[in-house]
Amino acid sequence: MSLIELKEVSKIYNTNSVPVRAINNLDLNIDSEEFTAIVGPSGSGKTTLLNMIGGLDNPTSGTITIGGTDISTFKTDAMINFRLHNIGFVFQAYNLIPVFTAKENVEFIMLLQGESKEKRETEAINLLKAVNLGDKIDKKPTELSGGEQQRVAVARALASKPSFVLADEPTANLDSVTANNLLDLMEKLNKENKMTFVFSTHDSRVIERAHRVVTLRDGQIDSDEKQNELALGQK
Amino acid sequence: MLLTLAWKNIWRNKKRSLIILTAIALGLWAGLFSVAISIGVWEATINSTIDRNLSHIQIHTKEFKDEKLISNYIPDGNTIADDIRKDKRIKEVSGRVLIEGMASSPTSSSGVNIIGINPENEKEVTSISSYIEEGKFFETEKRNPALIGKKLADKLGLKLGSKIVLTFQNIDTTLNYAAFRITGIFKTESTNFDQSHLFVKNTDLYKTMESEPIISEIAIRLNSSDDLNFVYSKLQLDYSSLKVETWKQLAPELEFTYEMLILELEIFLGIILAALLFGITNTMLMSVMDRIREFGVLMAVGMKRVRVFFLILIETFVLSIFGGIVGMLLGGITIWYLSDKGIDLSIFAEGLNAYGMPTQMYPVLPLYFYFVLILMIIITAIIAAIYPSIKTIKLMPAKAIRTY
Repeated sequence: MSLIELKEVSKIYNTNSVPVRAINNLDLNIDSEEFTAIVGPSGSGKTTLLNMIGGLDNPTSGTITIGGTDISTFKTDAMINFRLHNIGFVFQAYNLIPVFTAKENVEFIMLLQGESKEKRETEAINLLKAVNLGDKIDKKPTELSGGEQQRVAVARALASKPSFVLADEPTANLDSVTANNLLDLMEKLNKENKMTFVFSTHDSRVIERAHRVVTLRDGQIDSDEKQNELALGQK
Repeated sequence: MLLTLAWKNIWRNKKRSLIILTAIALGLWAGLFSVAISIGVWEATINSTIDRNLSHIQIHTKEFKDEKLISNYIPDGNTIADDIRKDKRIKEVSGRVLIEGMASSPTSSSGVNIIGINPENEKEVTSISSYIEEGKFFETEKRNPALIGKKLADKLGLKLGSKIVLTFQNIDTTLNYAAFRITGIFKTESTNFDQSHLFVKNTDLYKTMESEPIISEIAIRLNSSDDLNFVYSKLQLDYSSLKVETWKQLAPELEFTYEMLILELEIFLGIILAALLFGITNTMLMSVMDRIREFGVLMAVGMKRVRVFFLILIETFVLSIFGGIVGMLLGGITIWYLSDKGIDLSIFAEGLNAYGMPTQMYPVLPLYFYFVLILMIIITAIIAAIYPSIKTIKLMPAKAIRTY
């Protein structure tokens, strides 16, 4: 059984009373340990798809199943709880809590999960060490570079021990070296920790490293290729 | 950690937080100070009335309460007064003879309340001796000395040493005329009192009336006003045939006005807090609007709406309580300082005295007022937090995350 299963999913927005079909009858399965990039031009439905997989938005029709649980009918608080325990988020703009230190940002998710102070602190330090920020645990986001902030965001996403991590344009604000370092880290986590990553991206650096690339066009899957197949195609 | 986050969030925009904190602190400081002045004025008025002539407790015959005639004196009044004096809670007892009569000078005449007293006892029961402006408090060898209010003296054209003729009823209802010499002129905070009261020695009255030593009023001064209710109850039991009354019953308007004043002042503070409520709500709303994306992220990563609600509630609460404590401290210090030094309002003496109010003001704020205020601040904070909190928890995380 796939970790993420979308069946005949559609999302229609009513903008100024004009219905806009952002996702159109889409089927998609993502397995555990995948390193998948969802790509496509602007308006193709990448963000909508990611929001629905992440439970931030509900489909107009169809079902979304995460680890065997149908999340498409969840009420708001049930959905928040589900996200807390199952989904890690990495955002384009890092979105760390500015008044917290790196450690506190990571700890906060565990606090929401009700973990003890000792466990939170130990785990947070370990996670920050894993993303090579062991020496910056007490730095606030404003004292960190963009790449460092995004690594804190990755540590935060992993803090809840999620089933998978959704990363929305994670490298968009990073230079090449920083972006590659971040992707190295994510790949390492994917290989060593068996963590599933789903990216929404425009960035060729991410696409090149993804194991699977799902291309959307007008709310439908235009292509779904394994990275080696895509690479062959490009060659 | 939620508390830490709330505290850190408050100081994220220092200028904005400081402005609302200052508004809360100054608003409460001004409110508390105004309240303390009002209570101080009224308590001083009450104390002044008690000190001047009312005393803590008075005893009369029930008939005297209906008709203030000398014939309605207290049987064995002096013995009763001596017995009451034995109680250690009682500072002193003054047996008074009260007669409504007429005071005549060579130029004019006026109705007066003639109060026959034992000067030594009266000194300990009321502070009338301290109000002497001219002359002395019965420390004279002259025959039939009398103390007269300044206002009455002016009205009758009397000076120190002038003769005054008092006309009043004897016990047997026959009219009595007696000449007295002005040996002291007093001026209290109450022009009404000064215009209508005249003190003489009760022994002089007995001689004039050819009467036994009778008294129509027993005025009791307690060592502590805290014992008022206990002593009152005891006296009521001991002298059930007489009318025992506390100052609250003797001057119900004072007590009623005081209670109304307290209510009005609580409403006044409520209005100040209601005005601050809009300021706090506005500040919190701005604070929330600045952090829409952050709240979107918090909810996206798993912060439940109830926790978001509480986060904003805590921020509002801490902000309000912090401002409230600063305001209360400022108010408390100001009141404490001025309660000792007093505020001189002698430039308004004429107007204040017409209402029996003293010209030296000592702000007073009962301790419970601080607790009432804390409760009011808590309620204000909760109300102020509701709108920004509801607005926040209604955010759609997917949309909020993309807000810049």
